[in-house]
Amino acid sequence: MAMESPLVEAEMVEAMEFPELSNRHQVSGVPQTTINDGAGTVVGAAPEGQLLAEIVRALEAVKA
Amino acid sequence: MAEKLLNDQVVGQIQDVFANLKEPVQVLFFGQEKNCPYCEDTRQLVEEVTEISDKLHLTVYDIDRDSEIAERYHVDKAPGIVLAGRDGDQVLDYGIRYAGIPSGHEFGSLIHDLVNVSRRDSGLSEETRQFLKTLEKPVLLQVFVTPT
Repeated sequence: MAMESPLVEAEMVEAMEFPELSNRHQVSGVPQTTINDGAGTVVGAAPEGQLLAEIVRALEAVKA
Repeated sequence: MAEKLLNDQVVGQIQDVFANLKEPVQVLFFGQEKNCPYCEDTRQLVEEVTEISDKLHLTVYDIDRDSEIAERYHVDKAPGIVLAGRDGDQVLDYGIRYAGIPSGHEFGSLIHDLVNVSRRDSGLSEETRQFLKTLEKPVLLQVFVTPT
């Protein structure tokens, strides 16, 4: 997704090496995808459609 | 020289996958001198991977000494890896980063991402691509993984 849009950044985070960040986002199961610092979350594998829906939800939530 | 992290068999497998590489890729590695137990292994790993193909170029930085460059690529953790395109002298930043060592399952992701960046192709569906074009605000995706 980062490749397709200049507005999207994608960061893979090795949870064990960065426990502070992982704890802040309450990472319990991996993989876990966090959107905009916690505005949205997908726990487990994130199929394209599901991730997309969660991004939409996270962006809407900020607007509201 | 230090012992190789990738054995001949693994290198052979990566070579097969790298047959799909197309355009040049710039890999930026950011290490840190202190408190970075995984920096050395990660640097060695990306060195060994980028040596496998002429299309892959590696530059090594220090997150503190090269703080300006780190900030430009939004790298705030070490070891940090940026996978970017390269066009002549130009680096094409797509916003793809790794924080921490890409070992285990993530090593496969790294190899896969290198091919995608090289082919300038995300592999996403048309629907997703169209949606991403309509974005008006920044989206930061952080994928937390463990090295198993």
